[in-house]
This record gives sequence, structure tokens and C-alpha cells, in this order.
Amino acid sequence: MRNVVFAIVLIAATPALAQQQPATGAQAVAQGKALYDQHCTACHGANAGAGERAPAIVSTATSMRGQRSDAQLMAIVKNGIPGSAMPAWGNRLSDGDIANIGAFIHALRGNALDNPLPGDVARGEAVFWGKGGCSSCHAISGRGSVVGPDLSNIAAMRKSTAIGDALTKSEHRVYGDGGVHLPSPPPMEYEPVHVVTKSGQAIDGVMRNQDAWSVQFVSLDGKLHSFDRADLRSVTVKPGSIMPSDYDKRLSADEFRDLMAFLTRQGTKPSSSGGGE
Amino acid sequence: MGIKHFVLFGLVLLAVPVAAQPSINSVGPSPSGEWTVYPGSYNSQRHSPLKQVTPANVHQLQVKWVYHVSNSRELEMTPVVKDGVMYIAQYNRMDAIDARTGNVIWRYERPPASTAAYRGTSVYDNKVFLATTDAHLVALDARSGGVVWDVAVDGGRRLSGMSPYIAKDKLIVGVLDQPDGYIQAYDPKTGKHLWTWHAIPRPDDPEYKTWSGNTKEGGGAIWMSGSFDPEQNAIIWGTGQPNPPYSNEVREGDNLYSDSIVAIDIDTGKLKWHFQTTPHDQHDWDATSGTPVLLDALYQGQPRKLLLQANRNGFFYVLDRTNGKFLRGNSFIDDMNWATGLSPEGRPILLGDGAKPSVKGTMTCPSTAGATNWPSVTYSPVTKWLYFHAVEGCGINFRASSTPGAGTSYIEAPDDKNRWVSHIRAIDPLTGKRMLDITEVRSNHYGPGMLSTASGLLFAPGHFGHAAMLDARTGKSLWHFNTGDFITASPITYMLDGKQYFAIASGTNIFTFGLPDAVPAAGGKP
Repeated sequence: MRNVVFAIVLIAATPALAQQQPATGAQAVAQGKALYDQHCTACHGANAGAGERAPAIVSTATSMRGQRSDAQLMAIVKNGIPGSAMPAWGNRLSDGDIANIGAFIHALRGNALDNPLPGDVARGEAVFWGKGGCSSCHAISGRGSVVGPDLSNIAAMRKSTAIGDALTKSEHRVYGDGGVHLPSPPPMEYEPVHVVTKSGQAIDGVMRNQDAWSVQFVSLDGKLHSFDRADLRSVTVKPGSIMPSDYDKRLSADEFRDLMAFLTRQGTKPSSSGGGE
Repeated sequence: MGIKHFVLFGLVLLAVPVAAQPSINSVGPSPSGEWTVYPGSYNSQRHSPLKQVTPANVHQLQVKWVYHVSNSRELEMTPVVKDGVMYIAQYNRMDAIDARTGNVIWRYERPPASTAAYRGTSVYDNKVFLATTDAHLVALDARSGGVVWDVAVDGGRRLSGMSPYIAKDKLIVGVLDQPDGYIQAYDPKTGKHLWTWHAIPRPDDPEYKTWSGNTKEGGGAIWMSGSFDPEQNAIIWGTGQPNPPYSNEVREGDNLYSDSIVAIDIDTGKLKWHFQTTPHDQHDWDATSGTPVLLDALYQGQPRKLLLQANRNGFFYVLDRTNGKFLRGNSFIDDMNWATGLSPEGRPILLGDGAKPSVKGTMTCPSTAGATNWPSVTYSPVTKWLYFHAVEGCGINFRASSTPGAGTSYIEAPDDKNRWVSHIRAIDPLTGKRMLDITEVRSNHYGPGMLSTASGLLFAPGHFGHAAMLDARTGKSLWHFNTGDFITASPITYMLDGKQYFAIASGTNIFTFGLPDAVPAAGGKP
């Protein structure tokens, strides 16, 4: 009861303080992580990606991102959720601690657009459409190929590190970095597939989805196919990706930096107040 | 047409008390064709005697209706059906719908709305039961949704999301693990508290010595309902992990009665026996998976009263349910890196430190999500096999620091070869031999529950949303339907107006399936 009264007084006296904001700086993030690991992981899981007893606070799935603003999340941390197992941490932690947890969550929820990497964006764009050969699989704003993931909004969906990993590492997760419980059945990870139909036609492509009875994939000419397995002689899904993972080697250091500068600016920043509420 | 089963209503109520002396092989509290408690029957075999839908006609199965549970989240709930009405329970809310059409009959809502996991209800004596988030237990009139009684939970703690369970005129409920889990019995007629059994021993209990140090954190959450053995006069239940879940160095000892299968006298609430599956657990491997299955069978030439459990820790156990004695067991997964096997007493033989969680992260197979989890198993007397979802793959368990008791967490192993892959698996429970193994094309963890029928069907949905029927003996896929969302609930089947239905929660909807109505002759009614 005490903190409810306190909150009302605060709102009346100084409206600007009613919505607590996260702390800033690397130290706040580190302290927030330590507090999070001590108090929050048992329910919400590592890196707030959901755990055994409570949902994700952060998810790479775009449907989850920005569902609540930083201020809304911190108010929940402080006041709890009536009718749920979420306690009011304001009874146990200081406002400073909660602001540090807010800083940690903010950092987890952040994406490339929040902090795009430095470089020559125009030259990076030239690499994308030219030497990098990216558009043979990817599209931006309707231009390019639909075989691989569309990158028009990639910087609003991924962190810079995840974009860098995709260019330089053979195994990189497209979804679920740290999460245990996914919000909905995720799309496939664009594995290469080789299909032979009953009539003997062979098609190479990139997976979109599959189940025990059917497969969906895009052939290298950009056409979507959906087959019943019963109509196919064989379906060979190869693990991994046709995406090259040596862009840090096949491009010069400047070209790679500029490409990253370009990619980490592709997208529209979601409204800071959070969507859908 | 619709009036028929409402007329039947009164007749069924009169007929129920005349049931013969119950045994685990009677269908339990649910008359044939109904499903009135979470596992359908006392023995929790989730095997239905219904035979209208068969391997020969199941390909005609079609959606009969879909009911959307508004403002809910991925339902983990099993609906129950009695007298033509389906009851969909959540914390603070119950929806009663016409089991034939999906139309709402009544709805009970008590603020605030809650999306916390809740697993169902029981129908008994014209009542349905639910827990509230403000620590009350409520009985509603099954015909109207009116409150018959509303009591504060004895001890003042909120009940867990386990389905309230009915056996021998007792209403059984459970409480989570902070500070300690417990099972309670109430009088379903009045709401009077009858007894409480504590999963974490009190100082006067001989097993109190199995805890050192920080016992105040307790554990032993009661979050899944169990089974009832009328002959032993006992409920048989699984308990949850000790706390803190991943830091066992602050609680030396076996930490009874965490991660245990326990038999509790239903009249007195006294412990009759216990069997601990994961002593001194450090991976949150609750002994709550799949509901303990009761089976009477010839075992090594002797008629035995058995208990079967495929456990979250990766081992399958056969116990003598008259005394809790371990008879046999084996790993039911290919990837296990924390134990090499079971001792003659059924105790896991640890490999090294048993994959202790570490600051840098410890690969653990199976993962904390479990080799299997709460979704139901089924035992089919037709094939004499036990069916369940087995999840291969590993997790990484992290500690926040090396400080004793430091917080921890886990993730799915990131490398492709150790990622979680679910299998529909059948084993011969008497030998542990694997009889059927179907790899899910797409899956993550947990997976849905299953049921089997006397006609030889296995209802085995996929985690990513396909409701699917298999031939229980061959595993052959006979029918499937994409529900469009995750399925992490367990299915039921029921008979109404001469038609067999199957129902399961998927995402925030209840899907119901049945055979097509007869095609009317030209110009006439069916």
C-alpha cells in the first residue's frame, strides 16, 4: 500500500518523475545484469528470453519487441502484476537498482538502429548491390532477390552483432538468442533444400517451412513451391546456410565496415511508446 | 436435436453413484464416454474405451467447432466434459460451453484476468472447481456458473495451476514451492479443509535430516495432479524440484521429498511411501512429468501392481505402487550426460559432478526443459505400450557467479547437433524396450500430450500445431490438421448424442474434431 500512495504523490507533484527511466552507461547495464541474474532468471530465463515460470521480456521475434516501453516495464518491476506470480520488486530493491535492471533490459531489447555502426553508408550500399553480391539472395525496399531473408527492416529486428555474425559465422541463430519459450511457431532458418519430384524433376531452393506431410521452399529463381511429401521422391534439407560466412575476408576491412554501416541503418525505428497498447 | 443431451443430464446424475467397487482399471470417476477429471481416469492411462473413430475411418475426421478463449495465453489446459457441457478452466475464470456446438452456456469471471498457466478442472456432484489468484478455492454450480462455495485456502497461499482433482469424495489441490509445496484435501460439498501434506519435511519428520543449510528455501512444488489407487486408498503424486533449483551446494543431502513420487493416504493425508527420482537435484527436474500411470500386469511372471513414469531427468521408472519399491528403469533418451544409469535401488549413478551448472555454462543433456515434461503420456492396453514425447538434445546451464546459491538459468544448446528435437516414442514398460520412434519434423520442447483409444488410434499432436492421428501399433500417420499455433496441452475424447469427439487446446483456442454427419438423402432429414 505504501508505495501506491507514494506513486500518487509523485504523479501529482512532479509529473516528469512519474515514469522512471532506465539508467544509462555500461556500468549500469553490468549492475543491472548482476541484479537480473540474481533475482529474475529463475522465472524469466537467461537474457530475459523466458524461463520455466514466466514469459520473455525480450525476444528476437518482432511481435514481442517493444510490446511495452522501458517505463512501462520498470513500473511492472516496481509494482508487480496483480493476479500473477510477479512480485512488486519496489518492496525489495531501490529505485536505483530498478533503473539498472531497466538499463540491462534496454540493452537487451536494443537493436542495430539504436546504435548504427560507423562507416561510409553510401559506399556500403554500393558494396551491397555490387561486389558483395548480396542482392543475388536478399532484397531491400522491393529491389533484389526473394530467395533469402528480406533485409529492408533488418536493423530494427537484429542487433549489430547478430548482423555481423550472419556475415562471418557459419552457425548463427536467426531466432531465439537465449529464449526458451517461443511466442509462436517460428519460420524456418532458410536451409538449402534439394527436392526431386515423383516425375523426376529436381529443384534446388531455400526452405520456408515444412511439416510431416508437406514442404514449402523458394527455388533459386525466386518462385515459391508447396509440395505434399507424397508427391516427392526425395527431400534433402542440408543443415546450415548457403549464405557465405567469410565477408570479413572476401571484402576489404573498409568495405566490410561500410557494408555494416549500411546494413545497421536499414529499417524503421519503432515508436518509443511501444506499439499496440 | 440439441435438446437430447440435456434431457440425458438428470438420468446420468442418478446413475453415477451405482458404480461397482472401484479399481484402477475401472474408468475411474468418468462414466464411459465422458471425461470428468484431468487424466480421464484414476489410472491416468489416458486410454479411452471409445471405438467409433477407427484407423479405417479416421481419415474422414473434420473440425466440428473452434472456441476462442479470449484474453488467454498459450493454453496448457485439458478441458473436461460431462452431461454435454465442456468446462474450460483458468485462474479466476471458467467457460462452460456446449460440447456439441461450442456455444457458450455460461461464463464465470472474477477480476483480475490472469494468463498464468492453469491446467483444468474436475466435475463432481454438479460442481466444477477452480483456484483464484487471491488464494481462494471456489466451487461453481456446473449448471449455471453460480458460486456454491468460496473459501480462503488454508494457510493463505495461492493454489498452483494444477487441475483440482476429485477422488473418494475429496477435492485435491496443490501449492507451489515458495517456501514449500504442499498437497491439500477439501470437502467438495462444503469447501471444508481436511488435511495438508507438506512436500518439505518438518523438524519432526525423519527425512528432515536430508537437508542441510538453507532448507528455508524448500521447494517441492505441487503443480501437476496425479493418480488415485482405490485399493491402496492413496493418491499418487509427483513433487517438484528443491530450491534454489540449480545451486545444490547450499542444501547438502537428498532434499526429500523434492523430485519424488509420493503415495498419500487419501483419508488422513499421511505419507505411505515415497520414491525420489532425482536426489539432490541441480537441474529443476520435477517428478511431475506425464502423470504417474497405474498398471496391473504380469511382471516377471508375477501379477504386480505397477506404477510407470517417464521422468523429466531422462529415466523411465517402474515401481511397485504398493510400497514405492523400484523394480526397473532405463534411460529413454539417446543423449544423456549427467548419469550413467540407475542403481539397483533406482538411484541415478552420476557421471562426474552430474553436469553441475557453472559460470561459463555447462552442457546438460537432457536440458532443464526436460527429456519429457507435463504433457500427458498414454498407456494402451491394445498394444501394451506406453507413449510419450521424448525430447533429445541439450541445454546450457549457467550460474550468475560462483557465490553459493547464485542465481542461474538455462538456454537451448546453440550448436545444431544438440538442439531440441522431439520424438513420439513408445516403449514396452515391462522391458523398457523402444517399440516406436517418430522424429517430429519441427519441434522445440515439451510437446503436447497424447491419448489412445480402444480402436487402436494414437492421438499424438505435434508441438508446432498439427493435430494428428496415428496407428498406435505402426505409428503410421492416418490424419492431420494444422491448428495454426503451438500445442502444449493434452487431448481428450468424449461421446455425445452417439458421436465421438476429440478435443485439444491449441494456442488460445479449443479445437474439436469428429466424423462427418451422415449425408442426408435427397429431400429428407438424416
